Amino acid sequence: MTSITSFLAAPTSALDIPDTPDLDRMRRETGARLRSAMADRGVDVLLLLGNNSVVYATGVSWPLGDAGLSHVERPVAVVLADDPHPHLFLPFREGAASESGLPADHLHGPVYLEFDEGVEHFARVIEDLVPAGAVLAVDELTGAMRRAQPRLFRAGPPADAAQIVGAAKVIKTPDELACIRTACRITDEAMVDVQAALAPGIRQIELSAGFMRRAFELGAMASMLEPIWQVMPPSKADGVWTTHGDLALPLLTTERELVAGDVLWTDVSITYAGYCSDFGRTWVVGQEPTPRQQAQFAKWREILDAVLDVTKAGATAADLGRAATKANGGARPWLPHFYLGHGIGVNAAEMPMIGTDLGDEFDENFVFEPGMVVVLEPVVWEDGTGGYRSEEMVVITEEGWIPLTDYPYHPYGAR
Amino acid sequence: MATEVLPDDRVLRAGRRERALAQMENHDLDVLVLGRQANVRYVSGAPQLWVAGTRPFGPTCVVVRETGAIHLLSTWDEGVPDDIPHENLYGITWNPMNTISVLKRIEGAATAKHVGSDALSPGFAQLLPMAFPNAELVDGELAMRAARRIKTPEEVAALREAIRVAEVGLAAAVAEMRPGVSEKTLAGVLLEAMAAGGVSTPSTQDAAWVTSRDHPWRRANDDGRVQPGDLVAFSAGVLDGGYTGEVGRTWPVGEPDGAADLYRRWDALWHRLYEACQPGAPGTDLLSAYQAAGEQLPPMPISRGLGLGFDPPVVSQHLPAIAAEERLEAGMVLAVTGYVWQPGVGAVFGREAVLITADGPEILTSSPSANVAVGA
Repeated sequence: MTSITSFLAAPTSALDIPDTPDLDRMRRETGARLRSAMADRGVDVLLLLGNNSVVYATGVSWPLGDAGLSHVERPVAVVLADDPHPHLFLPFREGAASESGLPADHLHGPVYLEFDEGVEHFARVIEDLVPAGAVLAVDELTGAMRRAQPRLFRAGPPADAAQIVGAAKVIKTPDELACIRTACRITDEAMVDVQAALAPGIRQIELSAGFMRRAFELGAMASMLEPIWQVMPPSKADGVWTTHGDLALPLLTTERELVAGDVLWTDVSITYAGYCSDFGRTWVVGQEPTPRQQAQFAKWREILDAVLDVTKAGATAADLGRAATKANGGARPWLPHFYLGHGIGVNAAEMPMIGTDLGDEFDENFVFEPGMVVVLEPVVWEDGTGGYRSEEMVVITEEGWIPLTDYPYHPYGAR
Repeated sequence: MATEVLPDDRVLRAGRRERALAQMENHDLDVLVLGRQANVRYVSGAPQLWVAGTRPFGPTCVVVRETGAIHLLSTWDEGVPDDIPHENLYGITWNPMNTISVLKRIEGAATAKHVGSDALSPGFAQLLPMAFPNAELVDGELAMRAARRIKTPEEVAALREAIRVAEVGLAAAVAEMRPGVSEKTLAGVLLEAMAAGGVSTPSTQDAAWVTSRDHPWRRANDDGRVQPGDLVAFSAGVLDGGYTGEVGRTWPVGEPDGAADLYRRWDALWHRLYEACQPGAPGTDLLSAYQAAGEQLPPMPISRGLGLGFDPPVVSQHLPAIAAEERLEAGMVLAVTGYVWQPGVGAVFGREAVLITADGPEILTSSPSANVAVGA
């Protein structure tokens, strides 16, 4: 191979993350990780339909749309174990922005896997690309694909491609980290203006409008979830009914007008080159936090620091969970339906997840490695304060971690 | 939009659920396991958090035909209609085995003979038999597609409102179009206006692009900034109350040479497409409209149903057999796309929402078009 095929090592400091991602190098390195994960599981071919998996496997990104339309107009990727380039089937527009990195004979027209006729056409293409005995894995089966299984999967039922993509993407290359960090910077900058506009009388939906405008102006490719500005209840008992009796999160945005003293738990996410940001802060509308509210923040900070103290390569997810629980006086500082923290990449939330119903054994067995990214989001709650929740994103290193976010905690914290 | 999260209107909900249950009967399905957001909204009537892009399959909603019971993945009851009682709500889980435990306990799961799901993953293909031990697992999307195909009057009203919001967004973006502005800023303006109009859930975020002078449909390969002489395409789409409202237009920057001819070609094409939107007509008539107008068929479907997500009929040059089989019917709402291109000039893209009625097509979109501005 030529010398331009440089591979970057896992970062040890923020300086090791390139300022601008090299998307061709990123595609080469993630492709190598993906094919290595295929080899580990003895899989020869991946058929990928899920938007995020296609983004990961091909390096192609586009402004993701609503799932409903995306089922019929969506890119599909076919990854062969012995081919450095994936095959990509593109509908109009989707992926058009960055299609140029693939050889022309790997770019194909759209396929329509919702329909028997579309699957029939796709099966003929697959027969040409894939040897008859090859072991296939797939991430999703449409109804039409289920009807055509013997034709599509000649070597028997397909394996689960989600496991393979998951194993590959859990460790990020430096260029992926650069994409994530750029997405975070765009988000943070947009949120400065949103937070400046926060005042009694503004409606939740107006905050969403302002965020969308600013994030796109600053270079966001897509919003990944409808922006959340959840007004916290005075007490758990006053909150909406939940299956577990704890707090609901996230509750949807409406035209509700915010009033002085409202405590907001915010959550937004955008993409840059297909990679997600995650932003979460607690804000108070139109007034300074009370001493009790400041104490909530102080407790949250104490928990976060305790978690970060044990965060490094070699630590387990359970180590982080234990540190958080201990700092919180023995109770888990996160909501029962969520987690202390989660990974992020082409998905706004992906593995690893810390403290979920996957169970203690899962957490004990999950060992952090350099280049993994985790979003930590402990939750502190005391009735009468609105609680405190923020999200902090770090990259795992041999010695510890590198922060990817530095948005201020205002109006909480030192004044 | 209200100041509270509310379930869909009772009549709207009831009309949809009746259709879904009827199609379960037609397709001999005892249980439907739904993972697609549009289907979940269709049967449950509960708003859900919008997330961009497709999601991996997971059992988000379960419908039991015999009892009509709906079981819904929701950790809280905000926005959940009162005909889905608390005991039918199950919280977010990350462990699929816990999902299976929930499904096992559903009344009717143990005895179901035919269980349909609207998609499937290899993982759930292995796990679902544990929850439905006596059932054959089959495709359930065909039943849902059949249910969604023809709109109830309440659905048409919801679509009209969604289209109105999309048109507000499109108008705002067109007003900001000027030399030097970036495609992304135009997208931001469009999404901002739709959110200010009450909807922060776009159906498309690929909202504005300079059409290429060199290729029929690829992106213009530059810095994404609008220049004098460009033809700029605008595509506005929202998900309002779950319903997809869409409109597309193309506006010129200044008076590009050759644009007037291209807009005239679009008008001639559109006239033929409109005439093809007749009840009883095959989908092929829409494809033929392009041929009769002497225009090349674009790579995207030139028509697809609007509703919750995509609906039949999907008419594309890549699906000729389906186009020949499909018949347009009263009560369908279509997004119909006209697309014409001229080397050295660019493309004119226009997308209209069309309601098929017993008397013929009714256009639901009313955004102004640039044809007059260029003297076409």
